[in-house]
Amino acid sequence: MILSSIKTGLAQVWKSKRMVLIFFLANLSFALVLMLPFRAAVSNFAGETLMGTKLAGHLPIDFIFELMKNNKSLFSIYGTLFMLVPASYWLLSLFLSGGAFATFARGDGYSSPAFWAGAATYFGRFNRLFLWSLPVFAVLLCLQFLETGFQRLIFGSDPYEYVKYWGGWVKYGLRVISFVLCAMVYDYARIHVVTTGETRMRVSLWHGIRTVFGNLGRTFALAFGLFLCGALVLAIYNPIADSLAAPNAFVVLTLFVLQQAYMLFRMLLRLTLYSSQLFLSNKLAGAPAPLEISTDPQGLEGAAA
Amino acid sequence: MESKTCTPRLLLTLVFLLLPISGRSQEAPVLFQPALSPRIASYNIEVTLESAQKKLHGRELLFWHNQTSATISELQFHLYLNGFRNTRSTYMLGTSNPVRSRRIKEDGWGYIEVDAISVSYDTEMIPSLALSRPSEAATMIADLTDITPEIEFIQPDIESPDDKSVFSVPLPRPLPPGGKVIVAVDFTAKLPEPPYARTGAKAEYVFAGQWFPKIGVHTDGQWNCHQFHSRTNFFADFGVYNVWITVPEDNVVGATGLEVAVTTNDDGTATHYYHAEDVHDFAWTASPEFVEVTGKSQDVDIRVLMQPDHADQSQRQLEAAKLAVRYFQDWYGDYPFPNLTVVDPRRGAAASGGMEYPTLITVGTGYGIPAGMKLPEMVTIHEFGHNYWYHLLASNEFEESWLDEGINTYTDIQIMPDAYPGRGNFLNAMGLVLDIGTYHRAQYMGLPDADPVNRTSWGFYSGQSYTVNSYPKPGLILTTLQNYLGWDKMLEAMRTYVERWRFRHPKARDFFDVLNEVSGENLDWFFQQAFETNSILDYSVTRVFSREVKPPKGFDHTLSTVDSDTALTRTDKENDSSLAAATDETDTTARPDSSSPGQLYESGVNIRRLGDFKFPVEIEVIFENGETVRESWDGQELWKKLRYTKPTRLVSATVDPDGKIPLDVNLTNNSKTLEKQTLGVNKISSRTLFWLQFLLEAPETMHSFMLLNDIF
Ligand SMILES: [Zn+2]
Repeated sequence: MILSSIKTGLAQVWKSKRMVLIFFLANLSFALVLMLPFRAAVSNFAGETLMGTKLAGHLPIDFIFELMKNNKSLFSIYGTLFMLVPASYWLLSLFLSGGAFATFARGDGYSSPAFWAGAATYFGRFNRLFLWSLPVFAVLLCLQFLETGFQRLIFGSDPYEYVKYWGGWVKYGLRVISFVLCAMVYDYARIHVVTTGETRMRVSLWHGIRTVFGNLGRTFALAFGLFLCGALVLAIYNPIADSLAAPNAFVVLTLFVLQQAYMLFRMLLRLTLYSSQLFLSNKLAGAPAPLEISTDPQGLEGAAA
Repeated sequence: MESKTCTPRLLLTLVFLLLPISGRSQEAPVLFQPALSPRIASYNIEVTLESAQKKLHGRELLFWHNQTSATISELQFHLYLNGFRNTRSTYMLGTSNPVRSRRIKEDGWGYIEVDAISVSYDTEMIPSLALSRPSEAATMIADLTDITPEIEFIQPDIESPDDKSVFSVPLPRPLPPGGKVIVAVDFTAKLPEPPYARTGAKAEYVFAGQWFPKIGVHTDGQWNCHQFHSRTNFFADFGVYNVWITVPEDNVVGATGLEVAVTTNDDGTATHYYHAEDVHDFAWTASPEFVEVTGKSQDVDIRVLMQPDHADQSQRQLEAAKLAVRYFQDWYGDYPFPNLTVVDPRRGAAASGGMEYPTLITVGTGYGIPAGMKLPEMVTIHEFGHNYWYHLLASNEFEESWLDEGINTYTDIQIMPDAYPGRGNFLNAMGLVLDIGTYHRAQYMGLPDADPVNRTSWGFYSGQSYTVNSYPKPGLILTTLQNYLGWDKMLEAMRTYVERWRFRHPKARDFFDVLNEVSGENLDWFFQQAFETNSILDYSVTRVFSREVKPPKGFDHTLSTVDSDTALTRTDKENDSSLAAATDETDTTARPDSSSPGQLYESGVNIRRLGDFKFPVEIEVIFENGETVRESWDGQELWKKLRYTKPTRLVSATVDPDGKIPLDVNLTNNSKTLEKQTLGVNKISSRTLFWLQFLLEAPETMHSFMLLNDIF
């Protein structure tokens, strides 16, 4: 069921390639907003020096310290930008996810009006759903403290360092699992909103929780499998990117292409996850998939009523 | 390696062969004959650990020799543990982290009390008492005068009325030059728990540093006995130490010097007798948990006492210690002592780590520290290095801390890249790459000019300024000097300094004099700026240009725009931007720029000295045809302009092209190019963009940073 979900998910994403591009461009443009002041500072500081070329090789750490020391204004700029941009990006992603879920629910590939209508329709509800989900997220994130408790219980308050060390890794693993579970609950709740037109977010949240934990093996395997896939490709990407260090335009261009290819892959992965989860959710509910639903906001609201 | 002044190892072996394995009476070995140091302050101490209370009950016999030309009427002693007595001590008032002191639990404070102090002039007895336990010797000394009621706590450096880290006590009668005195002291000390600033106890682990009443140094006609400040190391006279340490029988003990014998007692304790010669301090540690590993490097026996949870790193720690011994002996001279003890502090007792004592150092590691993270190695090399600058030379760290920590940082900067060649000789793990020089330079750049380097340790603007001026800045100053003088000359100077000043407490001036002598150059211009002022060193290429030379106009001109390739012209006029043509005698390799045959270009480089620190620099100018011109500038003026007329355009100009001046606070402005350099800017922007994209997409991965805190 997992593999067939991923297969169907991928097929659905393939039918909606433009959506991958939309998600990618949104990500790229917000990151550009964050990056440009940094680039301007680097260019101003080192753009007419030999450091400007040296930076194409391995990063000289001296340079980073000098840049920070001599560009104090960067800190105030980033103090603001790091608050605003990620928050705005998160909202935009949430907005776009409505379009993506609506598109996958329709099952007939990307259509611009349907996508944007879906995005607009569910944005408010997804926000409310997020607020409803916060206590659930908080509980799930407490999972990591299981390690703290067990460590204290078994090894006392003065454990050897290897207990702390391996305990730290266990805690890390539990945090990863918590984040995956939070995302899963939120995804399945959103799927419920889109597939049923539900307007009471506590109902969708409850449905999300039931879907995730009622079928934990399958839902978790699907989400964690795709998460691992992303991590694995990152692990392969990293040493390759590190090795692309030479004062050579071709090398720099290759690095840029590789980076963007990876980000495109991440977007593909995210949409595949949405689509596969939607398929799995329908399977678990015994419903035929994909489900034809209206993208007309009024119609959806009406159906729910 | 030099030959030893005697053969201590042979003597030692003979002595040990004659010793009973466990017994009461033990003859200490004679390590150095004649003595290596002026043995001014020698101690026989018996100390018993009261494990549960972390208390030390001690009895001390001090044999003090007045080797000054003054008549001494009082004695001054350090009671370092009183720095941890309460929040009103000089130490605690001066700490840059008062929050930490407020967190000390009620029974976590430390202190030391002098229960009784008496003096005898019965110096005839000294030879027969030299190896006696104080409890046995007490009955043998005639003439003991109790001076306990005369004790007065004093604060010689700064007003701090509640401080009890120094006391003065008048002598019953003045001690003339050459005179000797025996001082018997009974004391009770409580170690801070957990350890605080180098010393203390944690559960079964004890590390006793600065733990006994210690006499100050009488020098320059007065007592040099400073309060215990939060920002300071120490200063003391050399002597012979015989110390009997009584701890629970299952404890493994490590201490300064050599263990002569272990005696088991009826009450479940054991007494470890240690003997050390020509040392100026004594520290010891005890724990039933220590895992012992031994090895040898050149002629030095190494004993590593590891915590059980770091046992897998024992070999790593031993190898680092071996390496340190090898480097220091090969580079800086003989380490005359037969052994070295390396102590790994217990978990929760890291404050006792990273400290140096004669023949004993405390290091620091953690379970799972990857091999690419060379912090444990660096700490070991650093702490062993102190056995030269702090121990053998024994400068006054209260007053000139950089003579120890700064020179030691300089030697770290030399040894680490040589011992661990390649990128990241300090850190090459988890995707992070950092060299030791860069690490120190980053610290230095944090506050390069708050104070001159040469200051009393409590006289710095802040804790950060003390750190910068005691460690990285002098380290970088001496690295800059080494690049100026050349490796061989600098090494010769360092070896001469060690050889000439061992056991003699050199001051900054003595160090400078050796460097002047060995280099054959009066470097006072450098020392003055580097150590006595807060001058910043910063050179910058502020402007470069190249423009076509237009046909001249007006009367009586000589410059031709279509000169042959030998008619290269250059002007090099300090503080004069005017262009004048002059034949260049040095440039003979230039090829005319093929793209514009016959065309001459006027090129210029402006260099400014942005800081007050004047230092000679080289300037490298590169031209389009591949020609490279090297210039020298003494840096005395505020700026220099270089002008060239050549059949080729300029590409770039770099001041200090070989990176010989790590003291320069801004290396990026050391060069200027004619064209914009976008390649590197694009690369770093591209990498930054990617990680921003990634973090926007997966912000939850930020939690990975918590991992380091969780596992270490
Ligand atoms: Zn040090």
